[in-house]
Amino acid sequence: MAHIWPIGGGKGGSGKSFITSSLGRLSAGLGRKTLVIDLDLGAANLHTLVGIPNPSKSLSDFLQKKTERLDDTVVETPFENLFLISGAQDHFAIANLPHEQKVKTMRAIMRLDYDCILLDLGAGTSFNTLDFFLISQNGIFITTPEPTSIENVYRLIRSVYFRRIRYGFSVSQFKALEEEAIERFGESAFSRPECMMNVIARDYPEQYRDLQKDFDAFRFRLIINQLHKRDNPALGAHVCRIVEKHMSLRVEFTGNVSYDEHVHDAICQQVSYLDRYPYTKTAGELRNAGRQIFQPAGRQLMLQYV
Amino acid sequence: MRKSFTELNYYEMLDIRPTAAAFEIRQAYGTALQIYQPGSAASHSFFTETERREILALLEKAYRTLVDERTRRAYDDELVSRGELDRAVEAGPVDRKPVGIFNISRTRDRQPSLDNQETLKSKVRESKRIAELTAGDSLSGAGLKQIREELGVTVEQIAQATKIRQDHLTHIEEDRVDRLPAAIFLKGFVKSYLKYLCLEPVEALSARYMETVAHPVRSERAQEQK
Repeated sequence: MAHIWPIGGGKGGSGKSFITSSLGRLSAGLGRKTLVIDLDLGAANLHTLVGIPNPSKSLSDFLQKKTERLDDTVVETPFENLFLISGAQDHFAIANLPHEQKVKTMRAIMRLDYDCILLDLGAGTSFNTLDFFLISQNGIFITTPEPTSIENVYRLIRSVYFRRIRYGFSVSQFKALEEEAIERFGESAFSRPECMMNVIARDYPEQYRDLQKDFDAFRFRLIINQLHKRDNPALGAHVCRIVEKHMSLRVEFTGNVSYDEHVHDAICQQVSYLDRYPYTKTAGELRNAGRQIFQPAGRQLMLQYV
Repeated sequence: MRKSFTELNYYEMLDIRPTAAAFEIRQAYGTALQIYQPGSAASHSFFTETERREILALLEKAYRTLVDERTRRAYDDELVSRGELDRAVEAGPVDRKPVGIFNISRTRDRQPSLDNQETLKSKVRESKRIAELTAGDSLSGAGLKQIREELGVTVEQIAQATKIRQDHLTHIEEDRVDRLPAAIFLKGFVKSYLKYLCLEPVEALSARYMETVAHPVRSERAQEQK
């Protein structure tokens, strides 16, 4: 089965699509059959970044039943081993994907035969984004060092957390849980998944164990994109520490990607940044991140000291 | 159940090991302040004002407790009695002494190869085939190869120990005259090779090998005459 990496980030403009295309290129460069899927429904632009300004097929062909299989919407890119399912020229209503369409798409994605699948998710925390993010346990969060972006990434992490909890319960059960959490932990509890988990631990010990096992298996990663010279390079590690200590969710810091004017130039000229400027600091950091994500062998898990 | 931040012990709050030295505690406190201070980028929007104040108060308490030897010992005792800490760990930081720069032990690397040499030497002494090969007046690469195989040593081992490239060694063994390095290097390589296999006397054997390589025809004829 393919290894799926959903890439999300909360705020728009943080470089999700750029990072997705770069990681896709790097993975393909390792000789793996790689597919990038544009799931930024209604605001798709990944196709331009991988060098296909006018893709002949798109995801909506599959959703509108023009083709039977998701496989048929795949287009080849100019790069070897790299394939794309684009969201270009799709239907205007696609941004509001109905539930059954979403489930159908997710099932189809799981069945695709690739070594590596990267999902470029849209900004915001709509259910579409959250559900696609939870398709795999290896999600990657992208944020810039700006407080606005950090705020949105926290928001996204919490929403993903809540969404996962929500899977295990019916609407009325979930509502009851919510009320109880607010009663026990005060007004702010409704935005705090960790409070909710406390309530679940008491009321539904069985589900709690399952959920906990699931959260332990998650291997989220964080990339800080567009780090300017004067920004604190330790920011990513700090964010991961806060999430771990206060939400008991493990997020691993993959690395910083420096800000570079040339990224803008490369996108405007519609050429691959990694090809045009391979010796910049940013390109090196991207390759480093790719290496960490795609070659996890030989890495040690963090040791708990207590 | 997972612990919330207020239930963590002071070490966990500051993200340090229970054996941390005083300077590490100070550093950790500095980092924690960087993370949790109002206006810090990392915790932006994550906490409400009251939560932040609570956390900062806790961190300060943790720092004040741990940085003072006396209160730290009392706190460690408390943790031990709660079962959160082992006695052994509680012993606290071991005084770190400077490490002598000439104290680097290299014996570990050498030990196995010394043993190895002994066994090789005894093998050389016992084997008749090797005695035969080294006694003749010519010694070719093929002969060297036979000796090496007799001793059960691989080319990789020799290459690793002598730092001679493996392809040089195989060319020597296969007598590929056109691929051999310059004579001066070749002699050195063969000497190292012989030394590694503990063949004596190195000088005479390497000279014999050089002779054989330089005049392959003459030595062949000598063999035919025999």
